[in-house]
Amino acid sequence: MTLSERFEAAFITGDRWKLYLSGVGITLEIALFAGILGIIIGTVIALMKLSTTEEGKPTVFTYIATAYIDVIRGTPSVLQLLIMWFIIMASSNNGVLVASLSFGINSGAYVSEIVRGGILAVDKGQREAGRSLGLSTFQTYRYIILPQAVKNVIPPLGNEFITLIKETAIVGYVSLSDLTRVANQVASRTYDAFMPLIGAAVIYFVIIKVLSMLLGKLERRMRKSDNR
Amino acid sequence: MITVKNLCKEFIDPDGSVNKVLTGIDYEINKGEKIVIVGPSGSGKSTFLRCLNLLERPTSGNIIFDGEDITAKGIDINKVRQRMGMVFQNFNLFNNLTVMKNITLAPVKLGIMNEKEAENAAYGLLKRVNLVDKADVYPASLSGGQKQRIAIVRSLCMNPEVMLFDEPTSALDPEMVGEVLDVMKKLANAGMTMVVVTHEMGFAREVATKVLFFDEGQILEENTPEEFFENPQSKRLQEFLSKVL
Repeated sequence: MTLSERFEAAFITGDRWKLYLSGVGITLEIALFAGILGIIIGTVIALMKLSTTEEGKPTVFTYIATAYIDVIRGTPSVLQLLIMWFIIMASSNNGVLVASLSFGINSGAYVSEIVRGGILAVDKGQREAGRSLGLSTFQTYRYIILPQAVKNVIPPLGNEFITLIKETAIVGYVSLSDLTRVANQVASRTYDAFMPLIGAAVIYFVIIKVLSMLLGKLERRMRKSDNR
Repeated sequence: MITVKNLCKEFIDPDGSVNKVLTGIDYEINKGEKIVIVGPSGSGKSTFLRCLNLLERPTSGNIIFDGEDITAKGIDINKVRQRMGMVFQNFNLFNNLTVMKNITLAPVKLGIMNEKEAENAAYGLLKRVNLVDKADVYPASLSGGQKQRIAIVRSLCMNPEVMLFDEPTSALDPEMVGEVLDVMKKLANAGMTMVVVTHEMGFAREVATKVLFFDEGQILEENTPEEFFENPQSKRLQEFLSKVL
């Protein structure tokens, strides 16, 4: 077979390109929902882990957050996905939902450490100045610390989201037809792995390259108030 | 106005040993006084100042502000801090906000003034420190002296009853020290109660009603500026003054 025939078999015959397209759709859908959920969970967990009493002692929330991070980071994400699919949400047949939840909960643990780092990187004098004016802890976080922390977390958060997109490639384990699984299926049907697998790799690469460029733009815009 | 009773502060060092920074301080600050605190580094003077508005929690002892024990359980410390301004060595202007927002954030968010009133008050205060033209810039574009003057204005906009200054000129280039001290002198002349930790002996001599010498967590000596500088009693203070004057 010539290269062009192999290309045709992998992408054109039987409208196979539509399979890849829907695979990309599922990959992005899961990554997007999981990413949003991860940011929400991560921020909450980070604030919990940083919470102290007025005397500066850790609270019960600190221990809950630490336990969450330990458990999630201490187990493989494939296993978490399988547990979610076969045990916790065994009654659900909405695979995208189950996968989004599983990846969101997983990502939340990593995002929480990113957010915590971003908050700790804000000079502690900023907090002291806010509190010395009579602002509450909440107000100080809301108006002073978090807006500055956002700038710090964008690069590592982008990194985390990129990892997340590629990590969704394991949803084939719970029979979801994401980009990786579709490529694999086409390969087994055409007895030619080269075109579908390399094709899928190129698609992932392009998605992530575009995303990296957008993140770079966002970062430059966020740095504006640093300009002299 | 502020009465400090047997104030102690201990820090637990990373190696687990107890570091006694303040070892039983008693002092009374009256309305309108300008208390200047001097002493070698590590003597506890900044810690003392930071205990006054509970940025540091005292290990034991009481601080009574306007008849109210602010170290008692159940005190709303945010309400107390609204009446005590604080100026820091490193300015600590909010980097994400313009100068104007830096000044108006607290009065507006705490419901003391509306946006318009706060801006008018801020313009009035900025005029007093000659920085009206900087209202809409971010702190990153200001010099150290400008930052510190804005930081003073930010505290003043809350109409505090007392102002605490924690080495306000120590992080400044020498040529900018004067402009900040001038603002502080004007404030003192206007009758503000002030507690100032500083190494500026000229300022202490000129402005203070009382000068305190801190050493090893104690007030070793307390006197009027004339007596303090001309007739130091303790050996430690004599040594200290011979080094800094």
